[in-house]
Amino acid sequence: MKDIDGQNPSAPSDPISAWRLRAVFFFFCAGFVYVAVGLSYRQLVQNESLTKNSDNQGQRVVILPPSRGKIYDRNGYVLVDNRVRWSVKADLLALQPEFRKEYLALLKKEKERFPERRPDYDQLQQTARLNVLNAWLTKIWFVIDSTNQKAAKGTAKVKSTPDLHPEERMVHPDTLRKHLNERRALLFPLILDLAFPNSGHAVTSEEGNRSVARFIEQFPVQGPITLEADMVRSYPNGKLASHVLGYVRDTDILKGQLDDELVEKFANLQKLGYTGKKGADGIEATYNEVLSGHSGWEHWTKTSSGYNKERLEAKPPKQGADVALSLDTKIQKSAEEALAKIVDSQGKPLPAAAVMLDVNTGEILALASQPSFDPNEMADRVTQAYFDQVNSEGGWLNRSTQGLYAPGSTFKLITATAGMRAGKIDWDDILDCGPSYMVGGRAFPEHDPVGYGQVDLEKMLAVSCNVWNYQVGLKTGPENLAKEARRFGLDAPLLQKPSEHNNHSTTELPNPATRMVVPDRAYKQRIAGEPWTDGDTANTSIGQGYLLTTPLHMACLIASIARGETRTTPSIIHDPGRDGRHAGAEPIGLNTQQLNALREGMLRCVEEGTAKSVRIPGLPYAAKTGTSEYFKKGEKAHLAWIIGYAPADNPVVAFCVLVEGQLDTSTWGGKTAGPVARDMILAWRTAADKKDK
Amino acid sequence: MDNNRQGAKASYVALVFFTGLWMILPSAVRRFNREAFAEFQAPALHLVGKGRDLARYWELQSRSPEELVAAARDLARINAALELKIHSLDDARKENTRLREMLRYPQSTEFVTVVARVSVRETSSWWQRIIIRKGRSDGVRPGCPVVFGDRVIGRVSVVHLTTSEVDLVTSPGFRCTAFLEGDDQYHVVHVSGRAGLALSAPRAMVSIIPLGYNPPAGQIAKVMTTGLGGVFPSGLTLGTLEAGVQTTSEKHMQTGALTPAKELSFIQEVSVLIPKYPTAGEILLTPADTGKAEEFR
Repeated sequence: MKDIDGQNPSAPSDPISAWRLRAVFFFFCAGFVYVAVGLSYRQLVQNESLTKNSDNQGQRVVILPPSRGKIYDRNGYVLVDNRVRWSVKADLLALQPEFRKEYLALLKKEKERFPERRPDYDQLQQTARLNVLNAWLTKIWFVIDSTNQKAAKGTAKVKSTPDLHPEERMVHPDTLRKHLNERRALLFPLILDLAFPNSGHAVTSEEGNRSVARFIEQFPVQGPITLEADMVRSYPNGKLASHVLGYVRDTDILKGQLDDELVEKFANLQKLGYTGKKGADGIEATYNEVLSGHSGWEHWTKTSSGYNKERLEAKPPKQGADVALSLDTKIQKSAEEALAKIVDSQGKPLPAAAVMLDVNTGEILALASQPSFDPNEMADRVTQAYFDQVNSEGGWLNRSTQGLYAPGSTFKLITATAGMRAGKIDWDDILDCGPSYMVGGRAFPEHDPVGYGQVDLEKMLAVSCNVWNYQVGLKTGPENLAKEARRFGLDAPLLQKPSEHNNHSTTELPNPATRMVVPDRAYKQRIAGEPWTDGDTANTSIGQGYLLTTPLHMACLIASIARGETRTTPSIIHDPGRDGRHAGAEPIGLNTQQLNALREGMLRCVEEGTAKSVRIPGLPYAAKTGTSEYFKKGEKAHLAWIIGYAPADNPVVAFCVLVEGQLDTSTWGGKTAGPVARDMILAWRTAADKKDK
Repeated sequence: MDNNRQGAKASYVALVFFTGLWMILPSAVRRFNREAFAEFQAPALHLVGKGRDLARYWELQSRSPEELVAAARDLARINAALELKIHSLDDARKENTRLREMLRYPQSTEFVTVVARVSVRETSSWWQRIIIRKGRSDGVRPGCPVVFGDRVIGRVSVVHLTTSEVDLVTSPGFRCTAFLEGDDQYHVVHVSGRAGLALSAPRAMVSIIPLGYNPPAGQIAKVMTTGLGGVFPSGLTLGTLEAGVQTTSEKHMQTGALTPAKELSFIQEVSVLIPKYPTAGEILLTPADTGKAEEFR
């Protein structure tokens, strides 16, 4: 078949030459090879890195904080516990459709109201999220607040959870924004603690349980709102031993020690973490590594918008180890209750400290400091008001271990020991002690205006005669006094951890005092740039002047004397196998008569001397009182001291009480500090009797 | 053959069509359909229940007169004991009311009791449900507790005109709070139903048990309602805690399995406790009333 020109219509008008066909063929082949090689390269060579990149983009690891170990007293009584915290949380991924719906409604309204203006899309999205979450929160509060009691119209009666400001019942925009920026993948906490909504507004335990029960039983099981239970720190005894126990604060667990398996396995994956807790003070801080435990983790796939999608695998966190303290809760409680009774003219508790030690082992049975704080207030988020209140009262300072004070007449034990060891006085020497003693042209007074007449060592300790000490101190000399004080460790740091336990902290309690002062000639020259005088020696001999030490040091001093040694190593950690050996301890260096006289003098102090007002019938104990002067707000005030041990014939416990007095100098060792010591001894006696039975 | 093939093809097309239609229908229509189906099904369920009762009746009729006399005697004794108990409880109730009035401590929840026969049991491994022969017309509302004597059976989940669906204690839709017998500190624990694995018995779990808790020596610990949640009266038995309470991996809480208080597969009659006034949760569950939360503020 041909057309009118005689040509075949099916034949191409311009036949393709062979080389053009080959070129096209080659071009396609080259393209195919390029694609094939490219794919092979990606599959074979880049496979690992591309898979890794894909995983990194599509997966993440969520770090789960562990709950902390418990803290017990020496008898197994729980001092720090973990309580269940019920949190109501919203699944933001499940709420996406509701967010979208609300966003579209808001957008429509916005366009109707301002047709000319370009809407702020980000703001609308944020508002939509807030609206949806607040609507859910309103429902939750409605369920929590209401009871089934009969109301006027036969409907549920609404009872608000106490003391919650309306704003605290809503989602704060900044909180939501922060969560979306930093922890979008995690559930959003609508109510962090259902039993105790918001710190500072703690409801009673029963009311808390009721809130939890109402939510569990009345709120729909299915849906985007879930209930989670985790553990938070709880201090069941409130302020009891708060300076020893300390408190915890929030920490970013990603910055802490992470699980080795986690680091190795998911080195490149994005990591998110819930807020963890870290010890901030007390044992919580110094034994943080023991108490903390190990974080767990969850491996998730994530959506393109950053929410968690599917959990692939998980490792649960491991709770921290428990710590047993040497404290005896009953003695600690009695010490704190007795301290609380010492108040100023306005009824405000005076700053004070009390310590009781086991004479043989050095374990601390009570360590109280007043004023104190409630660690429960710090367990979640401390309010500025509470922080300021404790700060203004001086409640953060642990006066037992951190407070530095002149020991006053309690130091006379050192003066007497130094004098006897230097051979300047003996136990039965009698000195004439008038109403004052002239030193360097200045009359150093006796605290009794008529003086004590003929005074030996025992009487000196019973009545706390100053003039006896001036004379003995001057005879012994400042260097011997300082040497003796150092021999008893009055300027040595205490509460050092054994080297094998040194982890984060080197001490058993945070920042024990290190600036104790045992003055000598060189010290005064260095500090004041002046030479030492006899007046300085006289002052030192009665525990005044430059001397500075802590109540814990004085408790150790008296425990050492009770054992006839020089050093006591105190410890706040309970160890049933403690052998009673004390680092650096040596025999006191007095003969039996001298040591007996020292002990008899302290017994007489309680029976007939300055501490007779706090004697305990049927339980003889030895003590030495002290009343030193210090300047408070530029005016002279008294520090009241009492140190001692009980029972007098077979010492088991040693104690020290210090009270910072008022400006009117009405504070005295036996009268003010004595009752605290008496209550502690009685508490110890009761506990010991129970144990014996 | 062709006809068969065409018929099969048509049925597939119809299935796809109706499935698609069901998916795009408005939720109100779907809800209506479900309700209509439930109401349509209700007489059949009633009939099944009645049939079972009849079978039981004839079974009893076949017993010998001696057996029936013995049963009647036992029943008379039980009745007498119950009469006595009612009398003593009446005294206790009066004393309770007097004390409450004296202390001005209001009654936490007041209930009206409705007795209902069980018509169907759906005790598959997933949903643990029963259908009872009382519904909206009898005053039953969603969320009402369902009990047998002093034992909790479950909670009403869906209410139709003459029937209601009850989530049993072992159903995944059930949860409540409880106290454990022997816990002097009255820690609140969490009881929730768990979907059982295929061919295994469904279970309920008791979680958030404090570490220090030990069941009373030599006894099986009862799990009892707290009465704090405003749904269940306090002191009802949910079941017993199975031996072998497990500590969670983090060692700060324990969990245990719950043996329901009553053999749920054989239960024939239950009581629905209808709160005199609707609970907040009930109001939230009712779609039309969701705005009431605001209204009550």
